[in-house]
Amino acid sequence: MFAILVYDINEKRVNKVLKTCRKYLSWVQNSVLEGEISDANLRKLKIEISRIINKEEDSVIIYLLRTTTYSERQILGLDKGGTDMFI
Amino acid sequence: MKKPIYIFSDGELKRKDNTLFFDNEKGRKYIPVENTSEIMLFGEVIINKRFLEFVSHSEIILHFFNHYGYYIGTYYPREHLNSGYMILKQAEYYNDKDKRLYIAKKFIEGAYKNMRHVLKYYQNRGKNLEDIICCIEELGETINSVISINELMAIEGNIRGAYYKAFDKILGNPDFKFGIRSKRPPKNSLNVLISFGNSLMYTLILSEIYKTHLDPRIGYLHSTNFRRFSLNLDVSEIFKPIIIDRVIFSVISKNIIKKDDFDGSAEGLILKEKAKKAFIEEYENKLMTTINHRSIGSNVSYCRLIRLELYKLEKHLMGEQEYTPFVAQW
Repeated sequence: MFAILVYDINEKRVNKVLKTCRKYLSWVQNSVLEGEISDANLRKLKIEISRIINKEEDSVIIYLLRTTTYSERQILGLDKGGTDMFI
Repeated sequence: MKKPIYIFSDGELKRKDNTLFFDNEKGRKYIPVENTSEIMLFGEVIINKRFLEFVSHSEIILHFFNHYGYYIGTYYPREHLNSGYMILKQAEYYNDKDKRLYIAKKFIEGAYKNMRHVLKYYQNRGKNLEDIICCIEELGETINSVISINELMAIEGNIRGAYYKAFDKILGNPDFKFGIRSKRPPKNSLNVLISFGNSLMYTLILSEIYKTHLDPRIGYLHSTNFRRFSLNLDVSEIFKPIIIDRVIFSVISKNIIKKDDFDGSAEGLILKEKAKKAFIEEYENKLMTTINHRSIGSNVSYCRLIRLELYKLEKHLMGEQEYTPFVAQW
């Protein structure tokens, strides 16, 4: 499935969360990552994140799409990053 | 679904923050390690041991290609699905002349039926391929009567020869004339595409073998022992016609790759980077296409189909179920 993850996290922990997310998803822009992810990996990611964040202060939202068939990605301005199989 | 990453740029690939990181003047990019199945390296890439350690640990295979898009080799991490039992079984079937010939025949049978299938498709589309199909069918019927691997290889060569003759009729494009099959280096644009596609196929199957208990060093049709890997070459015979050749037909007929996408600098031709990417994109889309698998009864992608083929082979070697090659039905 396809996931879009956005976060708002205290500066003290933000780097840790970013590093964790990068293992599973591709960075799109500040505080946003996206990419194809399996059920198992999503579970792993959620566990890893919840170990880092402080539930009183931080917030992470994951939007899940079963497929991207009916979605469209429109960009205004710069395209900073995303999922691409070519480098 | 884990995805392959293709690296065409020059730069440094390393481990950073427990994930993969690519760095060069143009930019820096993190690659999600958990979502990467293999890495294809076409550009000049610097790597270090720490990176290789990490890649081994993450069970990612690295495939290297040279400047001309030729396969050079693979960094094949220590096998994680090692099974002494399977290696012994594989060797047993290799050493027994009859058992080896049986499996080799099955591979050729699969290849022949799939080639015939591709031709029949185009015949239904109004191409005049009657003679070629007849010729292939005649040759195909002799597969079962051969008594040695060499004879089998000869028949395979003849079938493939006849099959390639059909390319000109199918494409009908003066920019892509087949002529004769030339390799190292390929002499015309169609041969370049075939070589490039085949090398992608070999590496894909090698990656899939890595995910099973099979040992890629023991092949049945292609002799073992003196080369690095041969099982992937065997299995690719079955899938080349239905995957690579169809991708070639579609990139040419859709005008995705044109005559000026080739550079004829040195001896032979090479594909420009843009065209390589376009070809790979079409190829990856093909692999992700799902078809309804009759015996399983659910939808499987072509990529998965290859893995199933390997499982069937494992079953055959263990004596559980006789191996029958995959034959396309649409």
